Amino acid sequence: MTLEQVAHRHDDSSARLTEANRVPLGAPILELKGLQKNYGYVQALKPATMTFLAGEIHAIVGENGAGKSTLIKLLTGVIPRTAGEIIWCGHPVALATPNEAIARGINAVHQEVVLCPHLTVAANLFLGDEINRNGLMRKRQMEKMAQAVLDDLGFGLPAHVPLGSLTIGQQQLVATARAAMRGTQFLIFDEPTAYLTRQESAQLFKLIRRLQSEGVTIVYISHRMEEVFEIADRVSVLRDGTHVGTRKIAETDENELIALMINRSIEQIYHKEKIAFGETILETRGLSGPGFENVSLSVRAGEIVGLYGLIGAGRSEFALGLYGRHPVSAGEVHWMGRMVDIKDERAAMELGIALAPESRRDQGLCLNLPIGLNINLPILRRLSHGPVIGRAEAASNADQQIRDLSIKTPSQRVLVSSMSGGNQQKIVIGKWLSHGARLFIFDEPTVGVDVGTKAEIYRLFAKLLKAGAGIILISSYLPEVYELADRLHVFRAGHLVGSHDFHAASHEDVLAEAIGI
Amino acid sequence: MAITSTESAAAAPRRGMNVLFSLTLIGLLLALWIVLGFATASFWTPLNISNLLRQGAMTAILAVGQTFVIITAGIDLSVGAIVGFSSVILAWLLQAGVPLWIAIAATLLLGVAIGAFHGFGIVRMGLPPFIITLATLTALRGIGLLITNGSTISITNEAFTNFARADFLGIPSLFWMVILIAVPAYVFLHLSRWGRYLFAVGSNSEAARLSGVNVTRTIYTAYILSATCAAFVGVLLASRIGIGNATQAEGWELQAIASSVIGGTSLFGAIGSVHGPLIGAFILATINNGANLLNVNSFWQRIITGVLIIVIVYFDQLRRRSSR
Repeated sequence: MTLEQVAHRHDDSSARLTEANRVPLGAPILELKGLQKNYGYVQALKPATMTFLAGEIHAIVGENGAGKSTLIKLLTGVIPRTAGEIIWCGHPVALATPNEAIARGINAVHQEVVLCPHLTVAANLFLGDEINRNGLMRKRQMEKMAQAVLDDLGFGLPAHVPLGSLTIGQQQLVATARAAMRGTQFLIFDEPTAYLTRQESAQLFKLIRRLQSEGVTIVYISHRMEEVFEIADRVSVLRDGTHVGTRKIAETDENELIALMINRSIEQIYHKEKIAFGETILETRGLSGPGFENVSLSVRAGEIVGLYGLIGAGRSEFALGLYGRHPVSAGEVHWMGRMVDIKDERAAMELGIALAPESRRDQGLCLNLPIGLNINLPILRRLSHGPVIGRAEAASNADQQIRDLSIKTPSQRVLVSSMSGGNQQKIVIGKWLSHGARLFIFDEPTVGVDVGTKAEIYRLFAKLLKAGAGIILISSYLPEVYELADRLHVFRAGHLVGSHDFHAASHEDVLAEAIGI
Repeated sequence: MAITSTESAAAAPRRGMNVLFSLTLIGLLLALWIVLGFATASFWTPLNISNLLRQGAMTAILAVGQTFVIITAGIDLSVGAIVGFSSVILAWLLQAGVPLWIAIAATLLLGVAIGAFHGFGIVRMGLPPFIITLATLTALRGIGLLITNGSTISITNEAFTNFARADFLGIPSLFWMVILIAVPAYVFLHLSRWGRYLFAVGSNSEAARLSGVNVTRTIYTAYILSATCAAFVGVLLASRIGIGNATQAEGWELQAIASSVIGGTSLFGAIGSVHGPLIGAFILATINNGANLLNVNSFWQRIITGVLIIVIVYFDQLRRRSSR
């Protein structure tokens, strides 16, 4: 059974398909006329007029807070608009509820998969649309159909395992298949590759192209320029809630898009200054632990040491082991020339190691607590007089970090959950700047972060280096480590498989080492 | 500085909302008092007010301890059983001729030990808080019944049994005990770093751990405080009723949780205060007291309490949603 057959399972789905199918390929399928959204006095989306053509892949780029998520929420019926019109297949529509959007064939795949991890892949694919007979679920039939769809899409995924046992990338593929099975005519991807490995991204792109060839209109939101150029037909740029332009992909280049987005050129993003290396801060000799084995490397003052590898290659595990989160089973750690035993996180912090962990959401931040508390969490001891926290000092420290890092918030009492990804990352960094450290470990510091904030973070690296710190930069985004790391180590399957000085190896060589070909 | 002043101005609504919620709770409490003052002749008598303060006092102390645990995204179902159990232990020690102060100290230490056991079960054995405290709830009642062989132990120490009936500066001694607990509890939760750690662990324990917070110690602290508060209430109860009985305080854990939740504590953790549960406990006490005065069937009291919990927590949810 193929995807189409499943998608056309219900009569009503084919009915709404004909509505969308009446729009010939290349003609406008969705038009925004002065679409606008205000939150109180804040204009999240200034009156925007855009056209999406049937069957195209339309990328939307812009910095955090540029209005991309607002636009998605308006199109998927999650929030009501303030003013303007949405024209779907030639008729103005309300799109007042998520269900209306889905019923019209508009769907979204989010960066964070919003499905049930404990249910099987098949159960998730059919969730809310189960096949019943006499009130009982046809579990085996659904599993068979789900497997057929997965095979048809070439995912090579089993339908009967719990969704949670798959990688985030595979879950994303399932979420996409789910949207496709519902007869979607208009599919929005919100930064889908943020957590994906390269192979998973490639698989997702194949699926997107296939959906396009079946006449589905795709809106693709991403921070990654090379993806936009790889997959999109047209690209629209948002800046500060304003639609500043739409280009055909063949008629533009990266520099123009970035200029539109931030008024800044690409050379200014990867900001690397020549800084003289100082003494060796940290050296590991044959360090082994859960997920990594026999890792020897060193970090000097003023140096960025890059750790590159696919997700799960052992980079983050190495960082957590070094930081005392997981017990180390073998090997030595030398700190400033002295052998040390880092038995827990506190010990690492006291030595002078700071870790901005991989996942902001799971490891970095207390989301439902205020910004100020998050920033001050590592240094509450220092801020306390006896048992009581010095309120004025705590407030002024938080305010200082907010100012220094230009975190966009009206107050430090705002909850972290209401901040954008870029601002959340700055809060994670702010925590460790106020604590202070000799060695900063940044694990995926720019995932889901826009170009402007990226540049700010990189500039901050230079500042830390100049102050005599060393940096371990972990990333699965090759250009980032390639352009910034003074020494680049490549991880594969828990082992250090290659080490290169700045620009000593080509992109292709590094990639080959990471993948293992 | 211009920047600072605009920041605090923008932040004002948030803090305002919290104060507003406390005010609505106090408003509700006052409204209940005013209505009952009109509806009954005996509500505003000194005797009844003392009674009300006594009735609410024990739940209030339990609710404060419970709130520490709930803020870490846990639950302590054992507090009612600890109250009954520690009344037995105290009476038993006194019967054996142990001096009063040592008996009280030993009972409180037993509370510390029970709390530490909860911490051990959660942190070291990896049991869910619901399960480990449910287990001690059942087991402690059993141990108490074994010790007393199913009966009660009378307390003959008159100085001790008079304490719960005594007044100080015209206010019942039991209510002074609430203040004795509430003031340090407020300092601990809202002003000290250990209080912040409770919130951080309840919000995201992994993030707290990676920020250098000792998560294990924080969880131990929360459960030890809750169990010790419960043991303290056991001492107060023993003083009030003059006996040790393992079946006393049946269902008080639910009263404590209800007071905490009415007082704005989120069962998902990371949201809560000390003053909220106190007001919540006295709202519940007022409803029981008023219902008694109005001769409302005690079965109806339970129904009213249930409905009230739903209404108050629902309004709290609405408030949270609108402030987001």
